[in-house]
Amino acid sequence: MTTWEGLTFGIGFVLQPGVLIYCFLGVVLGTFVGVLPGIGAMAAISLLLPITYYITPEAALIMLAGVYYGAQYGGAVASILLRLPGTPQSAVTTLDGYPMARDGRAGVALFTAMASSFTGSVIGIIVLVMLAGWLSRAATAFGAADYAAMMILGLVAASTIGTARPAKGFAMVALGLLLGCVGTDVNSGAQRFTFAQTELLDGINLVALAMGLFGVAEVIGNVRDPDRQGVAERIGLRRLMPRREDLRRMALPTLRGSALGSFFGALPGTGSTLSSFLSYSMERRIARQPERFGNGAIEGVAGPEAANNSAAITAFAPTLTLGIPGDPIMALMLGALVIHGVQPGPLMLEARPEMFWGLVASFGIGNLLLLILNLPLIGIWVAMLRIPFNYLYPAILVFLCLGVYSVRGLTFDIMAVAAIGLVGYLLALAKFSPALLLLGFVLGPLIETNLRRAFLISRGDPMVFLERPIAAGFVVATVALLLLPLWQAWRRRKAVSRP
Amino acid sequence: MQRDWPDICGGVILAALGAGVAIWAAVHYDIGTLRRMGPGFFPVVLGGVLSVLGLVVAVPALGRTVTAPKVEVGAAIAVLGAIVIFALGLPRLGLAGATAAAVLVATIPAPRPGWRWRVVLATAVTALTVLVFSVGLQMTLPLWPRLT
Repeated sequence: MTTWEGLTFGIGFVLQPGVLIYCFLGVVLGTFVGVLPGIGAMAAISLLLPITYYITPEAALIMLAGVYYGAQYGGAVASILLRLPGTPQSAVTTLDGYPMARDGRAGVALFTAMASSFTGSVIGIIVLVMLAGWLSRAATAFGAADYAAMMILGLVAASTIGTARPAKGFAMVALGLLLGCVGTDVNSGAQRFTFAQTELLDGINLVALAMGLFGVAEVIGNVRDPDRQGVAERIGLRRLMPRREDLRRMALPTLRGSALGSFFGALPGTGSTLSSFLSYSMERRIARQPERFGNGAIEGVAGPEAANNSAAITAFAPTLTLGIPGDPIMALMLGALVIHGVQPGPLMLEARPEMFWGLVASFGIGNLLLLILNLPLIGIWVAMLRIPFNYLYPAILVFLCLGVYSVRGLTFDIMAVAAIGLVGYLLALAKFSPALLLLGFVLGPLIETNLRRAFLISRGDPMVFLERPIAAGFVVATVALLLLPLWQAWRRRKAVSRP
Repeated sequence: MQRDWPDICGGVILAALGAGVAIWAAVHYDIGTLRRMGPGFFPVVLGGVLSVLGLVVAVPALGRTVTAPKVEVGAAIAVLGAIVIFALGLPRLGLAGATAAAVLVATIPAPRPGWRWRVVLATAVTALTVLVFSVGLQMTLPLWPRLT
């Protein structure tokens, strides 16, 4: 299928009423949770996972993806109006978006965020289409060793890049990999760590794990937080339209942010949060008057918002063509597909065109819906910021319990959510990343299967990881990432010892 | 400021957990060889790695001070308690009873004083849950408490 055929096929697929409604639901729900500080896309997608059992895998993926990029739009609203990042990806937007709002330019800041998000998404879609075709052709050359090496690189990248203490990240990945071992071993049929509980034969339930780690832990942390009690004051949005000067200033940062986000989104282990931070620091570095940043520079809103949206879209390329999720949210998406019995891989583009091209088309249509909906609906989102968390969280808890119960009809799973929720809250308190745990959990069985296969083929010779060029490339990159923090520490020490 | 207890305790717990898992897996599951790995191979290696990482987290933290994180004990107990009550109550109290009980327990740590809004909220959430899950999604669940 050529690109044009694919796109027209995909657009036709999404415009069916039975699919379009889930695209619409996804982006609206995504904006909703993005606007509400304290409930991120992770929690929302975990909450929605059980609902996807009732619909086709294509509609499920389109809806969950809509939640993801819809949350990026919504996150900017809370960041700009309240200086509370609705999602981690929009944390950077607070730096200049909030000062703009204080200057009475909240409307312009919101417009900038939406326009750049839209542009970033469009560029992300173009890159995704090119990349996915190339990746799925390249993937036919991938062997078990190459897959294993690539996934290990992804885990190492996710735990080292942008984290203050890589050891804590690695520990969470290892714990996630171990939790992934629970259940029946696919290679030998042996039961591992099930302790004679039939409920654990299929392993730990992904829905229960995600809800406990993100939903419950976030609710506990926010119950008594005074910032969550509906503080939003009335903010006039008289001037939504930017001036010509604003448009000129935001154009190039938007394009640069989109390019940056498209690149980093597709890399394993980096993702959209990192892209928005990188875009901000790049804009500040190349600005003629860097002192404007932090005081309401429109470039500081346009670049990062474009970057996080394009990264959110290109992240689907490795997930769908290689079956390897680059970040925890992609891991959840992959988990949703696997629940439906769909195993993403190089053949996906050919074997399930409605999945890939439908998703691509839904990105375009969903972003258009967001742009059309959010400009007139902005008043409603702002009003929603005034709902006190008091009224929301008990309902969230009940829906969460019923959602996980609906998957298998076992109260065991609800109890598991409580237990995992306690662990998740303690991890959040001690600043261990639950997202890395989830990434390890989803990748664990894939890594184990591919490692065992690789060693079986090579008759136990570890040189297979250096003899195959693809695997060797990933191994070199992994070693470089591992050595980078050590090298930085060594340089710092040298700088200190010098007078 | 206090000693970095989160990292010390977290690291020690993870190290102990890793060592425990490695030993359990080594005793109970077949490890196999590098060429033909048994079901125990991966857990033993990962358990070992986790115990080393736990120590790498804990040891440097011994000489470090951090601001103590704010622990919401009350909120944690109420939220987790509400989930447990819901799980235990669902087969016995029915969907309506379990929802109302869970919402009432969950609102205990909420900062807004008074009890009337809690009752109203419990009623509203129960009505919504019954409408969405029982009437809308046709989930087969007992609705009301069993009287026998």
